[in-house]
Amino acid sequence: MILTSSNISQINRQVPKLARGQVQKQFAPAFQKLKNKMIAEFLNHPVTLEIKGGTSSDNISGTLAGATNLFSFIGFESGSDPTSAIEKILSSTNFRFSRTTRNSVEFEIDMPEAAEIFAATPMPWAPGRSWAKGIETGISGLGYYLKISKDSSRSGLGIQSPRKVRKSGSKFKNTQYISALIKKYQKEFANLQL
Amino acid sequence: MKPQYKHELMTSFLLWFDHELLQEGEAYSNKTGQLYSKSDSRIPDSYSAFQSNYKQWVSDSSVTGPTNPVIPTEFNGNSRSNDFIFDFENGRIIETGGATISTDITGTFAVKDFNVYLTNETEEDLILENKFQINSRYGDLSMSGIDPYDQVVPAIFLNSEYMRNEGFAFGGEDLTKNIIKAVVISDSEYQLDGALSIFADAARKTFSKIPFSDHPSTEYGDVKGGTYNYLNLSNSHSSEIPYFIEDVTVSKFSERAQSRLPGNLKVGFIDFDVSTSRFPRS
Repeated sequence: MILTSSNISQINRQVPKLARGQVQKQFAPAFQKLKNKMIAEFLNHPVTLEIKGGTSSDNISGTLAGATNLFSFIGFESGSDPTSAIEKILSSTNFRFSRTTRNSVEFEIDMPEAAEIFAATPMPWAPGRSWAKGIETGISGLGYYLKISKDSSRSGLGIQSPRKVRKSGSKFKNTQYISALIKKYQKEFANLQL
Repeated sequence: MKPQYKHELMTSFLLWFDHELLQEGEAYSNKTGQLYSKSDSRIPDSYSAFQSNYKQWVSDSSVTGPTNPVIPTEFNGNSRSNDFIFDFENGRIIETGGATISTDITGTFAVKDFNVYLTNETEEDLILENKFQINSRYGDLSMSGIDPYDQVVPAIFLNSEYMRNEGFAFGGEDLTKNIIKAVVISDSEYQLDGALSIFADAARKTFSKIPFSDHPSTEYGDVKGGTYNYLNLSNSHSSEIPYFIEDVTVSKFSERAQSRLPGNLKVGFIDFDVSTSRFPRS
C-alpha cells in the first residue's frame, strides 16, 4: 500500500487518540505518587502532627512558644480529629482526560483550593471562622480561655481573666500551612509529565 | 515616626466602616437629654466638660435616612463661636473658658447604635474581661458617672495583626494583603445580626485612602472646621488607588461558647481580607 500524504495525515491524527489509554495507564501511577507525597507532607506538617496529638501533645509547631499546644489553644473537643476533614479533601484530588493534541495527551487535575479547606475547618467556638486559615493569619486565645472557664466553672472557680492566666510569650505566632501546601502542589501537578 | 501604610489603612478603614454601618444600617437614634458637669484630668484646668448619657455621637453629615441624624451645633445657645468644643467621640461638650455656664444644659444629638474603636487588645481580653458599661443602660451620670474615656458597648473593635506583601507586577509593584478583624459586642441578638449582615455584604467593595493630614477629628474629638462629610472626603481622594475588600467572613459565637461568657453580651466576628497594590520599596 502506498501511503499518500492524506493517509499520513489521518494516521497522525489518530495516533494520539489510540495512545490515550496507554498514556493514561502510565500517568495514573505518576499522579498517585505525587498525590501521596502531598498528603504525606500535610500529615507530617508540625501543625497537623501537633493537632493530631490532642491535648497531651507538645507545641512542636512552635506557634505558642511552648505555653500550651494547638489542640488546647484552639479549643477542640477532646477526642476529635479536626485534621481529618483536610485529609479527606486532599484525598479527593483527581485527574481526568482533557484533550489530545498533535504531540501530546493532556489531563486536567482537579485539586482543592485553599478556600475549600478553610470552609471545612470551622473554629470550634465561632463556626464561620476557619482554624486552618487562622494558623496562617493568627488565632486569638478565646478557645483556650473559654475551655479554662468551663473547667473552672465545673470546679466552682468561675471564669478567669486572660490577663491573669496568660504566660509570657504565649501569644500565637502565625505559620505557613494550607495555602503554601496548595500553591506548591498546584505547581507540581501542573508540571507533571511522562 | 511619621505615619506608615498600616496607620493610614486603619484610619481609612475606621472612617469607611463607621459610615457604612451608620448609612446602610441606619444604626443611630436621635436622643434629647441633659449634659452633666464631669471633671476630666486630661483637659486643661480652665476647661469644663459636660457629659451626656451616651457616647459616641454621630458627626458624619453624609449619613441620611428616613430621619436624618441630628448633628449638634449648639446647646442652649452655646456653640463653637462661644468657645465650645463638641467632643463627638466621648458624647460631651467642653467649655474652653469665658462663657457663663448654666449647669442645666440640654440638647439633641444622634447616638450611634455601635461605638467603633481601634484596638490593640486581644479578642480574649476584649470579650472575657467583662469590663464594659452598656450605652443604653448607664443612667444618671450625676449619680453614677462614667469616666470620659471609658469604652462602652454595644461596640465594634477593629484590629489588624496580619500584613503580607506579594509580588504583583514588574517594576516592584506588590499586592499588600491585610486581614482586619472586627469583634462585635452587643446587648441584643437583633443588633448583632444586623451588623454582621451589613458587613457580609461589603465584600468586593472598595474604600478610599484618607491620609492622616485629612483625618476629620481634632485632638478633642470635635470635627475640623465644624463639619464632616465622609462621602465628600472620600470623593476628594478618589484619584488614588483604593483599598479593595476581597472577602468578608462573619461568624457568631457558637451557642456553647456563648453560654460560657460572663454577662449577657452577644459576640460576633467579622474578618475582612483587604488588599491594595503599591510600591513598598520605592
